[in-house]
Amino acid sequence: MKSLLMQSKAEILRILRNPYFVFWSLAMPILFYFIFTRVLNGNMPNLEQWQAHYLMSMAAFSVMGTSVMTFGLRLVQERTQGWSTALRTTPLPGAAYAAAKMFAQMLLNLLCIVVIFVSGWLINGVHLSAAQWLASGLWIVLASLPFLALGGLIGCMKKVDTANGISNVLYMGLAISGGLWMPFEIMPEAVQRIGKWLPSYNYGDGAWSIAAGGTPSATSIVLLLGYLVAFMVLSGYVRKKQEAV
Amino acid sequence: MTSVIELKNISKTFRGKKAVDGVSFTIEKGTVTALLGPNGAGKTTAMSMMLGLLEPSEGSVNLLGGLPGDRDIRDRIGVMLQEVAVMDGLKAGELIDLFRSYYSRPADRDYLIGLSGLSPADLKRGAQKMSGGQKRSLGFALAMAGNPDVLFFDEPTVGLDTGARRRFWNEVRQLAKQGKTVLFSTHYLEEADSEADRILLFDQGKLAADGTPEEIKRALVKRSVSFLPEAAETDCLKRAEGLLAMRSVGKANVTESNGRIVVTAEDTDAVLRILIESGLGIRDIRVDVGRLDAAFEQLTRNREANTLSETQEAI
Repeated sequence: MKSLLMQSKAEILRILRNPYFVFWSLAMPILFYFIFTRVLNGNMPNLEQWQAHYLMSMAAFSVMGTSVMTFGLRLVQERTQGWSTALRTTPLPGAAYAAAKMFAQMLLNLLCIVVIFVSGWLINGVHLSAAQWLASGLWIVLASLPFLALGGLIGCMKKVDTANGISNVLYMGLAISGGLWMPFEIMPEAVQRIGKWLPSYNYGDGAWSIAAGGTPSATSIVLLLGYLVAFMVLSGYVRKKQEAV
Repeated sequence: MTSVIELKNISKTFRGKKAVDGVSFTIEKGTVTALLGPNGAGKTTAMSMMLGLLEPSEGSVNLLGGLPGDRDIRDRIGVMLQEVAVMDGLKAGELIDLFRSYYSRPADRDYLIGLSGLSPADLKRGAQKMSGGQKRSLGFALAMAGNPDVLFFDEPTVGLDTGARRRFWNEVRQLAKQGKTVLFSTHYLEEADSEADRILLFDQGKLAADGTPEEIKRALVKRSVSFLPEAAETDCLKRAEGLLAMRSVGKANVTESNGRIVVTAEDTDAVLRILIESGLGIRDIRVDVGRLDAAFEQLTRNREANTLSETQEAI
């Protein structure tokens, strides 16, 4: 139990000390939020609604980024640098290690959400009911699981450089085509048609619905669950294959 | 004496190639044992199986009376692997605290800091920014975090300067005196010779020799008696061969180079006695002892050509 606590603490420290995390998960989303709601918002018909909508987009963008980039890359680094092997020689159970990692990640995701929500309130005075704040925050944390699983899949890669490149492309691609950066409606129709099936769109859509006074659609929930299972099965399969020598 | 590690007929096959091939040995408590051999001889693979990082393809490993992968067993061992793993984003002091939390009876924190040789300022530095030597010293402290009974070091002194190397071995000797069992791999003969009680010589995945440093050296070094035949002595080589074959002097090999007859044998004293007593007409007798490092180097050179980093990949 003590080792689990210590490990969680260590994981949290490690993420917080990572400059990429601070940049991609906090600085970028807040900067984007400021630009797209204060500077380039000229033709938005319903500004207030847009400010709440885009706040959700940025919170989702931040948490998705941490899960896909920081989490996945860290796994690759730990393996290539021999850290995973070293840990396997200690009595720390592998499950405790994984649990500490997940716990740390979730806690920091929560922190990102709070910081971004607060900055939305400070920058634009975004006004939602307490239930809406809670529900959307909870949704963004829980529905990020498929992206953590995607991070786990990226974590199977052999080289840090490959993993870095691929996770960057995935992250940006998912964010843009899922409508997290720009309103989904202004995308070309072809992108929209594909985007509707992407985890990022459904992730954002759940939060947008809550901010607009609704609830996440069943389609979104089912699709996200599907992605979660698919990514987990896939990385389980890859890991098994890598271990079988 | 109690045995701490027991390997029974261990083999490991990677992609059809045997990295370790039918190795058996027992390690007694309180001993310092070196796994000596060129790169790719199977030392790291053998150690990985002793640690439960790799499953043997055949055979069984017993570590401290249990299976190497068991939690209770891991609570009692300390390991320093070839690749020094230093978790990024953590300070050296934090790593020591973290590792201490893994074990049921951790070693004293100040003792570990002493082992790491790190100054208070270094302890507060990010571990990934430290020099290679500092990382190794920290790795040593981390290996000791659980106050282990058995210590495994894979190529422990690579990248250490002479001072750090001396400190490390002094510490290891202290640990052995306290009854801890130490197993280390190295490809330096001198290191195995000066620091180990026993050497397990690995060659192409097999245990080529097992004994005290003295015994291993005797087995490696080539001794020879050479002489010139007297003018009257015809067919000297054949006669010498015949004489040696009649008496048992171990393996003796008779060759001729530039008119000089060379007898290579383990027991050169016996060879000499036989040759003199037989009254064979010979002169200018010389006894040569080959150089140990040369013999080991030759063993190493032959093998290193086909070294593959397969073990590393597999773990």
